[in-house]
Amino acid sequence: MKNIKGALVPFSALKYLGKKPHTVRYPFEKKKTAERYRGFHFNEIEVCIGCGTCSTICQNEAIDMIKIEGVEPGRGDSGLRPRIDNGRCCWCGLCVDMCPTGSLSLTDQYLHTSPDPDSYLLIPGVDNPEMKENISFTKSDTEPLLQFDRVPMRELDGAERVKSFAEVVLGYMQEEARAEATRCVDCGLCVTACPDHMHIPEYIGAIAEADDAKALKYIYDNNPLPEMCGKVCTRQCETVCAIGHLGEPIAIRWLKRYATEQFPDPAAILNPKIAEPNGKKVGIVGGGPAGLSAGYYLALRGFDVNIYEALPRMGGMTFAGIPKYRFPLDSLDKQIDYMKKVGVKMHNNVRVGKDITFDKIRNDNDAVFIGIGFHVPYTLGLTGEDLENSIQAIDFLRRVNIGETVDVGKKVVVIGGGNVAIDAARVSRRLGAEVTILYRRRVEDMPADWEEIEGAEDEGVHIVPQGIPLEIIGENGKVKSIKYGMAEMVPDDKGGRPRPKLIEGDEHILEVDTVIGAIGQEADYSFLPKEIMDELKIERGRVVVNELKQTSIPDIFAGGDNVNRTMDAISAIADGVRAVEGISHYLLDE
Amino acid sequence: MSDTLQKEEQIKASINAAFRSAKVSIQRKGRIIVEFRGGILPAFASYLKEYLNFKHLSMISGVDWPEDNQFELVYHLWSYEQSIHVMVKVRLDREAAKTKTLTPLWEHAETYEREIHEMLGVEFEGHPNMRDFILEDWDDLPPMRRDFMTREYVDEVYEWRKGREDAQDVRQTIAEQYNTEVPNFNNEDK
Repeated sequence: MKNIKGALVPFSALKYLGKKPHTVRYPFEKKKTAERYRGFHFNEIEVCIGCGTCSTICQNEAIDMIKIEGVEPGRGDSGLRPRIDNGRCCWCGLCVDMCPTGSLSLTDQYLHTSPDPDSYLLIPGVDNPEMKENISFTKSDTEPLLQFDRVPMRELDGAERVKSFAEVVLGYMQEEARAEATRCVDCGLCVTACPDHMHIPEYIGAIAEADDAKALKYIYDNNPLPEMCGKVCTRQCETVCAIGHLGEPIAIRWLKRYATEQFPDPAAILNPKIAEPNGKKVGIVGGGPAGLSAGYYLALRGFDVNIYEALPRMGGMTFAGIPKYRFPLDSLDKQIDYMKKVGVKMHNNVRVGKDITFDKIRNDNDAVFIGIGFHVPYTLGLTGEDLENSIQAIDFLRRVNIGETVDVGKKVVVIGGGNVAIDAARVSRRLGAEVTILYRRRVEDMPADWEEIEGAEDEGVHIVPQGIPLEIIGENGKVKSIKYGMAEMVPDDKGGRPRPKLIEGDEHILEVDTVIGAIGQEADYSFLPKEIMDELKIERGRVVVNELKQTSIPDIFAGGDNVNRTMDAISAIADGVRAVEGISHYLLDE
Repeated sequence: MSDTLQKEEQIKASINAAFRSAKVSIQRKGRIIVEFRGGILPAFASYLKEYLNFKHLSMISGVDWPEDNQFELVYHLWSYEQSIHVMVKVRLDREAAKTKTLTPLWEHAETYEREIHEMLGVEFEGHPNMRDFILEDWDDLPPMRRDFMTREYVDEVYEWRKGREDAQDVRQTIAEQYNTEVPNFNNEDK
């Protein structure tokens, strides 16, 4: 019996027959690599935005940003893509963890030997598209190295706001601004979206380095109204921010605001070098952002500049249209005063065509810049529109901003969904009225900024989407109520956005004291003499200009809302800055 | 809750009774952190090993804290009987980083200490064999110090592979796309 066990022992090895062997197999079978193995890079070329953060962070200088055929630069994309020197890479994975879009990853592929040194350069995603199947090391979700959350902005509470025209947004404190600026990866993609191509990464960098004066210099290099932009800019830059792809974009607008608010007098910091007078004179019609920007930089270059403005203050729509709770007067005055110091001559309360003829301005100056904006409202085309208390938002806002007392009664309805409509609604709230906004499409279709819409709702403005006004009903020549019908959204046959279609019979009547129309504006060219109107090329209400903002008449330049389609302050400033190049070129270089 | 941490609480009480300056905290079940001053570390380690049965030294790691002008050494000890992991954290002055070796207690501490000496520049008094570890002929700042500038070193030491000359600067590329120039206010007088 003793020996039987000994005889069976060799057979016990049989149990290993069914198990998978650990030894190397022939023909060669590759073993699976570890989870999150870090091998060759892979890049989703379509997702990548060419921000270069991978290249910046690489401690081995192993990543270059290069141009690649088929990848075009554009809004929010530099057109560059990373290339890895695998002879230098140490596979630390920092590039992957820092990638703002998450397009970069590492694969489980790692075998490469070659006597050809060039073969160690790899454009991930272009040279190795097949490795998409082998992605193993990706950005950590749990411990991101980038800071995705924005430093929150302090605001007045909704109930508090409607009591006065006090500024709603309170601005960053120093530490908040530094913390926010530190989130920036310094890529510069924001510049692609800014109409004025401001030096955004540079000024954010300066704020992060606690050098606010340097930030101000970068800001004023191509924007003379930065405090205004810091408060009310439409901030296209933030829509393309690299951090915005996976987190909240850097608060570029608030940082600009912070930098400008640090200095009560920009002149003391900027100490601008003003060129010797060059003997050339430029007349500017309209003291809005376009005219002011052109005027400021022309004055710095030694031009003799005169700006003619019909309203009692400079600023154009930023003065007359934007309510004071968004852009206070003293902030505007500060910027205008600085421009005066530089030598821009400003004439308020001078309406060109009435107080001075356009021909006189043209004869007295070597070049003219037209930046008159869009100040004439479109009418609604409704019965009863000419009743008393049926007013236009743009006129209403101007009167309030100039300081007139406007009585809107207890109940107001605003028609339209743009920023002007929202402004009119929020101002009416501050005048003590109950406000309803009537908009023909859905809330998400509103052209107004989302935070303006949200702000209005916080302040108790009631929004009725898909409501089409039908008739304004009067009593004794005054507005009594408004009749509107509900609409459904139907797809557009021409492929445009869905159109509202009136639902038969779904009509409502709203008792109101005032109806405010806000469905758009156009320019008033009546100040131009007939000969000029005939010669000046105008298409769909906008003056046609070339790259340097020169019109079809060589000595006349134009910019602002009456030229560009984006119709915001920063585009107007960009137009003004470009026109400075155009005017200098025209008057000085022949 | 309290009974599940009973062993940990006991160990904490024992350490506190024997070494008053030790700051003991229980991170979670099975994990204790002890902050300790450097001077009498061998005595404390010996106490943990002989009296509290932390027989195994798992590893030693080093952390650089230039903000505090200190290095931190973390000794990971393990008790097989109680399945408890103790981390002993010792802070050293960064300017004169020196501590006593633990090789008399655990022979294999020799390797960890050699590595930390090479990577951070910490001296271990009484270490029997402080030769070069993995860096050859290193005469620069110890490379795991946070003030060691990896990029500068890489720039100086390594060659640039051919074929990399077409690298572009992202910011410059964007500026050129829109015919703009980025001014330089860095060197201006204030």
